[in-house]
Amino acid sequence: MKKTKLGEFEELVLLTVAVLAEEAYGVEIKRELESRLKETLSVGSIQSALKRMEEKGFLTSEFGEATSKRGGKRKRIYSATPYAHRVLTEMKDIRSQLWEAIPQPITSFQAV
Amino acid sequence: MKKTLSPVPPKWPLSLLRLFIKKDYLEEIEGDMEEVFRDNLELFSVKKAQRKYVWEVIRLLRPALTRKLSGTQRLNNGMIRHNLLLTVRNFMRYKNSFFINLTGLSTGLACAFLILLWVQDELRIDKFHEKDDRLYQVMHNLNHTEKVMTITSTPAKLASAMAAEIPEVELAASVIPTGWSSDNGILSIGDKVIKAKEQYASEDYFNVFSFKLLDGDKSTVLSQKNGIAISDELALKLFDTTDDLVGKSLEWKKGEFSGQYQITGVFEKPPKVSSSQFDLVFQFQLFVDNNTYLEQWWNSDPSTYVILKEGTDLAAVNSKVEKFIQTKIERSSSTLFMHKYSDRYLNGQYENGKVAGGRIQYVRLFSMIAILILTIACINFMNLSTARASRRFKEIGVKKAIGVGRRALIAQYLGESVLLSFASLLVAVLITVFFLPTFNQIVEKSLSIQFQYEFVIAVLLITLITGLVSGMYPAFYLSKFKAVNILKGAFDLGGSGSRKGLVVFQFSVSIMLIISVVVIYKQLEFIQSKNLGYDRDNIIIFNNDGELGENLETFLARAKDVPGVINAAAFGHDLMGDHGGTSGLRWEGKDPEVRIGFGNLEVGYDFIETVSIQMLEGRTYSRDFQAEQSKIIFNKAAIDAMGLSDPIGKKVSFWGRERQIIGVSTNFHYESLYKDVEPCFFLLGSGLSKTMVKIRSGTESASIDAIHNLYKEFNEDLPFEYNFLDDDYQAMYNSEQQIATLSKYFCGITILISCLGLFGLVAFTSERRLKEIGIRKILGSGSFRIVYMLSSDFTKMVLLAIFIALPLSYFLARFWLDGFVYRISLEWWFFVLAGFIALVIAWMTVGIQTFKAANINPVQCLRDE
Repeated sequence: MKKTKLGEFEELVLLTVAVLAEEAYGVEIKRELESRLKETLSVGSIQSALKRMEEKGFLTSEFGEATSKRGGKRKRIYSATPYAHRVLTEMKDIRSQLWEAIPQPITSFQAV
Repeated sequence: MKKTLSPVPPKWPLSLLRLFIKKDYLEEIEGDMEEVFRDNLELFSVKKAQRKYVWEVIRLLRPALTRKLSGTQRLNNGMIRHNLLLTVRNFMRYKNSFFINLTGLSTGLACAFLILLWVQDELRIDKFHEKDDRLYQVMHNLNHTEKVMTITSTPAKLASAMAAEIPEVELAASVIPTGWSSDNGILSIGDKVIKAKEQYASEDYFNVFSFKLLDGDKSTVLSQKNGIAISDELALKLFDTTDDLVGKSLEWKKGEFSGQYQITGVFEKPPKVSSSQFDLVFQFQLFVDNNTYLEQWWNSDPSTYVILKEGTDLAAVNSKVEKFIQTKIERSSSTLFMHKYSDRYLNGQYENGKVAGGRIQYVRLFSMIAILILTIACINFMNLSTARASRRFKEIGVKKAIGVGRRALIAQYLGESVLLSFASLLVAVLITVFFLPTFNQIVEKSLSIQFQYEFVIAVLLITLITGLVSGMYPAFYLSKFKAVNILKGAFDLGGSGSRKGLVVFQFSVSIMLIISVVVIYKQLEFIQSKNLGYDRDNIIIFNNDGELGENLETFLARAKDVPGVINAAAFGHDLMGDHGGTSGLRWEGKDPEVRIGFGNLEVGYDFIETVSIQMLEGRTYSRDFQAEQSKIIFNKAAIDAMGLSDPIGKKVSFWGRERQIIGVSTNFHYESLYKDVEPCFFLLGSGLSKTMVKIRSGTESASIDAIHNLYKEFNEDLPFEYNFLDDDYQAMYNSEQQIATLSKYFCGITILISCLGLFGLVAFTSERRLKEIGIRKILGSGSFRIVYMLSSDFTKMVLLAIFIALPLSYFLARFWLDGFVYRISLEWWFFVLAGFIALVIAWMTVGIQTFKAANINPVQCLRDE
């Protein structure tokens, strides 16, 4: 693993950013994650995850359009850096390797 | 097209956001927040969306998003640590003043918290009713020639007539409150027997008041004459359950109301914050049926409560209500007005037909005392820290020289005092918890510390303000000096003038409190020993319960035979302010314009003898005469008011009957001493509810035992409960007793805190003058000379305080005493005593320190020069 760690929640946010692509800004990420996780998230938790990851170099961002619904304030669109993609793939690989390494019989645990 | 204003997020969280969030993130996050708010608006109410917004803002305040300190602000961390360290070191180094301040502030805060709890509770009373803002009681002004009397009794038909005829009245209820007769009735089912307090209320009672019905229907629970609503507490006692009781029947014994009743509802026992407490509710019409005189508009008894329609103009309704009785009986001179029900608890006194204060005075008084005590504690802190300023001048000088601004210094000292006050808060909370049970006993409440946010915020605010107030003066004082002067050592310390002023203030307050305590105690003593015109010693009172009431004459005759019993009599009205009244008396030669209110005391044979009321003329009621029911005995005030000469044998008529005067008694106090002796008369009553027995002193326990046994012969199952007349009398002045006890304690605390401050000051000055004392002693000055030198300053301050406090407390005492018609006169020695006490206490405080200083060996204080 790399020195810069990616937390569990951060990973989820990062993946959502990747999924949303052009639409990846604060509230949209929050909506998407809320619907997938089926729990409510605060603006604060999303924002702090985004900022932390931007600092670690997983994300870049630029200002998007302003809408009246946002009181005339611009959105900030996030996009995952190539480095982030690399780390995500790496983590996925490690996970699947680990899954494969679990001794049989695994099927009985699938319900969990 | 009409443009509607869309709801906006609340303002203050937004400014909080702008203050704390990093500038670079602000636009984005603000936008996000706005968008989430709009989303929430579609899902929830505006209120809820705004609440959610606030919560979101609070959750945004996290390290990753908030601004870092920039530039010189970054130094703050270090400075805060530095200041904290200095504060702690100062506390450690000057333990004396630290403990004096801590003790003073924490006792002060504890007093304030106790008073806060009490005041909070007082303000809550009767406010819990759902329609509180529209719930009014109709008050009744009796416009007598001499003065206006305001009473709660109103005609029985008033409530229903008002509801029908005044459109602004939404609901109205007539209530005969539990206090209508001073005895309890007896409720029984099977072999379970319980005494209970009942009231009678008309149908809409449970709609007007928000007493909770656990079972039964609000609108119909009081619609049957044989119906009865009982409290859950009573239900548990009688049935061990509150469920499925509707329809069960109970037996009730109380005079003409005795009989079988069916439970129509179970209500939750009125909460403690309700001024009306009752166990049972009967139907109002039942009461009227048994007291048919109430069917006439002339007669008043029940209280009337109304709920006004929403948005009603009170003045408009009041103008309709004022002459309402005249629409029924033209000749009546009575007027009515509405008084908000929940306001009556604190403002329940009336003068000239208008609301004139009441308990609210005590609420104000104690709030005032709390503030005074806190101020005195703050002054200790101010005095001690400015006095000790010289110790810290080097620190201030060096700081200023290296460029610390004045604001930073002020912040440092304020921080110090706030820190101290929060340390005191911890101690204060412990003290409060520890003394709360005692305090509850005194004020007869069951207050408890509840961590509701209002209380917590109030406590934190009080503590913060205390800290700021006490730190304010030292902070500005200490930070104003010029660095150069401090470091050169050429500065004038100053400030001792204002310090003296503050000590004078502390002692003035203490002296005023001492005088108040003396005056309150003297007045109470006066009340207790005042010759009331009757004798209340060694008299026991009990109810004519059950069988006893039915065989009253037999019981009385047998009671009189008990050795040790001097006399026994039945009575209906006591001498504690419970009595009837009328202004409808007519007599020969009466000026038809004049209206005099008379008190009416219904008593039995021998009553006047039992309480030893002296007769001026004529005789008292006697079993030896016939037709005593048509005779009347007046007090002297009544005869004077009527202007009758040679009254015996003359006739008066009222209540449709003519009565012959058989006697005139001296004036005696049948109400509290707040009131003058008013005209009154005795009537021989029937079905009297209570008995009083006068016992020879010294035989109390044996005689009471004998009476007890006699009582048991009549009522086997009922407990014998009696009171001493004297205790009942004391109970009339219950709130004065409470005030006396409380002011005693608070006065003690004030003096203690003031003395602590003085002690600290003296300790400090004598310490600073130690070298001077040493030199003086070497040059031959005696110890007493030095004691005199050190204490003369303080003596002057206390004398000045006496000088200021005496006139002020004189006016204060006058003001309080003016409320009593019968009162002590203010003696000169109260004031001398208070001044003397203050002086002695101050001397003792100062003395300990000065003697220590004066007896010091000069070698010790001069050796390092």
